[in-house]
Amino acid sequence: MRRKKSLKRFDAIELSILWSRLISLVDEAGTTLQRTAFSSVTRESADFAVVLMDSGGQSIAQSSVSVPSFLGVMPFLVKALIKDYFPLSVWKEGDVVITNDPWLCAGHKPDIGIVTPIFRKKRLIGFIGSIAHSPDIGGTLWGAGAKDFYEEGLYIPPMRLFDKGVKNETIFSLIASNVRAPGQTIGDILAQVAANDQGIRGLHRVMDESLLDEIDELGESIIQSSEKAMRDAIRKAPDGIYKSVYQADGDGIKEPIQFVCTLTIQGDEIEVDYAGTSPAHSLAINAVLNYVFAYTAYPIKCIFSPEVPNNEGSFRPIRVSAPEGCLLNAKKPSPLGARNVTGNLLHGPVVKALSLAVPDQVQADCGAAVWVMVLSGKREDGSEYVEYLFLAGGYGGRKGLAGPPTLCYPTNVANVPVEVFEHDAPVLVTEKSLIRGSGGNGEYPGGEGQRFAYRNIGALPIHISNVTEKINHQAYGLLGGFQGKKGNLYVRTAAGEKRFTPPKGHDYLQPGEELVMELPGGGGYGRPKG
Amino acid sequence: MKLGIDIGGTFTDLVLLEPSSGQLFFGKTLTTYPDPTLGILNGLKELMSLHGKSVAEVNTIIHGTTLVTNAIIERKGALTALLTTAGFEDVLEIGREMRYDIYDIFIRMPSPLVPAALRKGIKERVDASGRILDSLNEVEVIETLKALVKKGVRAVAISLLHSYANPSHEKKIGKIIRSQFPTLSFSLSSEIMPEIREYERTSATVMNAYVQPLTGHYLSQLKAILFDTGFKGQLHIMNSAGRLTTVQGACKAPIQLLESGPAGGTMAGVFYGELLKKKNLLAFDMGGTTAKASIIRNGQPEITNHFEAAREKRFKKGSGLPVRIPVIDMIEIGAGGGSITSVNHLGLLTVGPKSAASEPGPACYNRGGELPTVTDADLVLGFLNESYFLGGTMQLKREKARAAIKKHIASPLGISIEEAAWGIHRLVNDNMANAARVHIIEKGLDPRLFSMMAFGGAGPVHAYHVAQQLNAPQLIIPAGAGVLSAMGFLVSPIATEEITSYISTLQQINWTHLQKKLDGMNKKGRQFLKKAGIPNTRMSMKVLADMRYAGQGHEISVSLPGIKLSEASIPTITRAFKEEYRLRYGRDMEGIPIEAVTWRVLVSGPLTTLHPKQSVVGKHTLPLKGKRKVFWGKKYVDTPIYDRYLLKPGQRIQGPCIIEEFESTTIVGEKGIVSCDKYNNLIMELL
Repeated sequence: MRRKKSLKRFDAIELSILWSRLISLVDEAGTTLQRTAFSSVTRESADFAVVLMDSGGQSIAQSSVSVPSFLGVMPFLVKALIKDYFPLSVWKEGDVVITNDPWLCAGHKPDIGIVTPIFRKKRLIGFIGSIAHSPDIGGTLWGAGAKDFYEEGLYIPPMRLFDKGVKNETIFSLIASNVRAPGQTIGDILAQVAANDQGIRGLHRVMDESLLDEIDELGESIIQSSEKAMRDAIRKAPDGIYKSVYQADGDGIKEPIQFVCTLTIQGDEIEVDYAGTSPAHSLAINAVLNYVFAYTAYPIKCIFSPEVPNNEGSFRPIRVSAPEGCLLNAKKPSPLGARNVTGNLLHGPVVKALSLAVPDQVQADCGAAVWVMVLSGKREDGSEYVEYLFLAGGYGGRKGLAGPPTLCYPTNVANVPVEVFEHDAPVLVTEKSLIRGSGGNGEYPGGEGQRFAYRNIGALPIHISNVTEKINHQAYGLLGGFQGKKGNLYVRTAAGEKRFTPPKGHDYLQPGEELVMELPGGGGYGRPKG
Repeated sequence: MKLGIDIGGTFTDLVLLEPSSGQLFFGKTLTTYPDPTLGILNGLKELMSLHGKSVAEVNTIIHGTTLVTNAIIERKGALTALLTTAGFEDVLEIGREMRYDIYDIFIRMPSPLVPAALRKGIKERVDASGRILDSLNEVEVIETLKALVKKGVRAVAISLLHSYANPSHEKKIGKIIRSQFPTLSFSLSSEIMPEIREYERTSATVMNAYVQPLTGHYLSQLKAILFDTGFKGQLHIMNSAGRLTTVQGACKAPIQLLESGPAGGTMAGVFYGELLKKKNLLAFDMGGTTAKASIIRNGQPEITNHFEAAREKRFKKGSGLPVRIPVIDMIEIGAGGGSITSVNHLGLLTVGPKSAASEPGPACYNRGGELPTVTDADLVLGFLNESYFLGGTMQLKREKARAAIKKHIASPLGISIEEAAWGIHRLVNDNMANAARVHIIEKGLDPRLFSMMAFGGAGPVHAYHVAQQLNAPQLIIPAGAGVLSAMGFLVSPIATEEITSYISTLQQINWTHLQKKLDGMNKKGRQFLKKAGIPNTRMSMKVLADMRYAGQGHEISVSLPGIKLSEASIPTITRAFKEEYRLRYGRDMEGIPIEAVTWRVLVSGPLTTLHPKQSVVGKHTLPLKGKRKVFWGKKYVDTPIYDRYLLKPGQRIQGPCIIEEFESTTIVGEKGIVSCDKYNNLIMELL
């Protein structure tokens, strides 16, 4: 009954105006968070989100630059908080809740979720949450190398970071004593708290101007419009069960992985099931189900409803399942640190299955979402450095358009400039160039990958943590387009010989040694002409 | 006398100032294609003969043009080559590897201005500290250049790794070109943008090289033509930061001209702010396809060093070619009079960014446009006068506007035509207010403290409602709103900004080394101004440092006191940084070192002050032209219409009313009280 009333209350014009104001206010909060963050991952890759939710934890507006990892994550967290930790009746004005529980948040411990309740006229009317990649969370250095969950650093179960506005010094002290860069980590947590507060101030302003005292009805109108658009688009695709199998490197040595994806389109809904997918992996590339949902729903949204702003509605028609304990529904104590590798591969099987239903709306496989390499060590003068490298492969061809070279998908991270990299670490980059011919041939060819090589010019070894993909596998082409070229990774010793370095895992780059990375090309789309 | 000439896409605007009397004379003529200098000549002759002046009396001409922007958007620059450090030829094409739209799988990335075949690596290497690891082989450089010249290359960009730290290799290549390939024009990255981050620096350098031949040709032609008309004074060029440069300066770094027109609008805001004693002002410019907003804080425009040219997807951040040059910080959204409005697949009303432009134009232009636009809504509501658009030179068709809104908006939404038109008006105002508010808040400022100055054809039509949304205390509709950019040219100072990259935490800075650099930059800047005829005593200088907390990736520009810096300055610099940081982000931090990345020295000539008297030609004697029915959201109200040209200083009118002038129409709602000041500006107090 309430829903009907809400739809009457906000006419099309009112809704257009209020909707864009809500997005504008979460974007304002997001911009501040991104600019003040110390974490290079939060900043450079927009690995954060600010989300406004109604009093039931349903998302109404999400900051628009966020990466896919956080689709649907915040409302999932808040609903769980209400159900299992803090029932609606116990929230007080000035409370702030923190957690990095991978099963409630974004699938690994560095992602910290901060939730603040919104009170208006002494009533709880909704929530605002932010999630961001922390500069450090303790444990072994970030990468695929942890043996289990406990090696991956500090676990923060849901608890009050502020209690009615009073700082919980115990938690702050606990976090500060367990992480490598306490000033920056605490700084980023406070930046999240401040971003939430800024969002709340913005919301009150909008509500004052629009004479609103609650947001549930408005939220429901927004969610329903988005849901309808998504359902209308899915309904146009032919019903059917579409299956795909997709192979990937796993550890790149002896434990490859396989995704089996069964995608069912029925009417205006899509169901994705991953039964048949590999079991949990020994490396820290295992993903939890809510994270798998985000990376499965993301390509579906790109294909069916790319221009509708992000909220609960777009995802209501999508269901995702995976057998318990498998790579895509990992349980404690599976290590999860580099679950992003797995998440970033999921568009492969999903798009391959969807290409059977809507071939004009998809792209061929992309070479590499992003290869990540973390370098750390000491300089001769004793000073320490930690440096992240991000590198993209070629993008897939699409109907009517070749794939651009070196472009991230599905995640979205800016590279580190060569000059900045050389400034921050004792390295000399010897090459950064496109690998000609590495994109798959096709009517619309795949984009080219790149060669990136650097040498240790310091006097001490550099600890490296490699996270690569498609060294043993190639990006697929579609509709007669060819595969892209696979990647390659090796070390050239000071004597000029090639040696092995693990595609995923830790190694030391000795002084004078050069690391060579060749990133894969994207797949081609359509049979080549002539 | 001083003359400002602004070439825009449709019109060439002229403003002539007679400093002795403060009199301003305005002229407007159509921009001519392909040779815009013809339009300048037409406008100049018309203006001079109309007011009985002669070109010989003009001492200074200040010029702004869209030439550079258009050449890049239309890819009409010279055939350009790029020399890089060997192994890094593709940096220009690889870019930052990031998508600007995360949901669009059919994304297009901007294509590089130099194709792979013309990008050549040179064996050489400098490290991050500026040390030469591999020296330059001059024979290789000469052979490479010979091969490029054979391919028809006319311009060369040179961008080597770490050249901001040690430019000697780039300088050597420049010397080789000057002596052995004298017909080639070239740009060195260490001169165009001496800052760390190779992709952005290369992109800016390539863009500069690409437009250099055509800018040089155009400006020398313009100079010749002006001298033919009897002009014997100095020609200055407006740049994107609201500063003037010489013809020589413009030829050397033409990318500085990218945003000269819009910068003029903001500088006019600086001028009116000064005139009306408003230190903080929001300049709001709404034209046919876009709306722009920029802020003036403490009498100064806000400058940013991030800019993108030729965006692949209009208004989408990240989709263009980056250039780090000082540019007036401005937001631009796709909401102008010609912006098309529709009902989208969510059943919601949307406005822009698609525009009906001037051809076919809004439905009411009756030139074949079928889709409803913002102007159509304004006409239906009664805000615009169908027989006094552009002073009556163009007759609008209200019925066409009604039909378009009915078909595309009112019927699908099941509302009346007036309600639909009101919705369009409100939505476009709201979009602009949102964008402006985010822009102001991002700088840590309070939108309610900014009076608004509105201009552009559609600016005064929408300003009242936008100002209300922002809770602005006051709204100013300046006299000469139709030629405001050219007006801004007249009050902009000649200035030059020298840049150097020196990355270090404050504690580790070698102050002697830094001071030497700053002194060199100061000297260079002063020499430049001296050549432009500014005496040393009238120059002022300012040091700016782009700083951050060590570990962050985003710097903020902080203005520092004095030119002499030493270790003893650390507390002052720290205080200045923290103050700016707190202003922007609401807090600062303890225990994290502060790092400076880029140092800037700005040397400026004197600011021009002028006290204008407007000269107006008008025939009516009664300001009240009549009344018409205007739809103010709920119902039609008989609303008085006034003639702007006949309003006298001191007169006050309570809204609702409408004030018409040649190029625009000012809407005053019921909460506005408008008066005319002694300079013929309209000042609206908002209750």
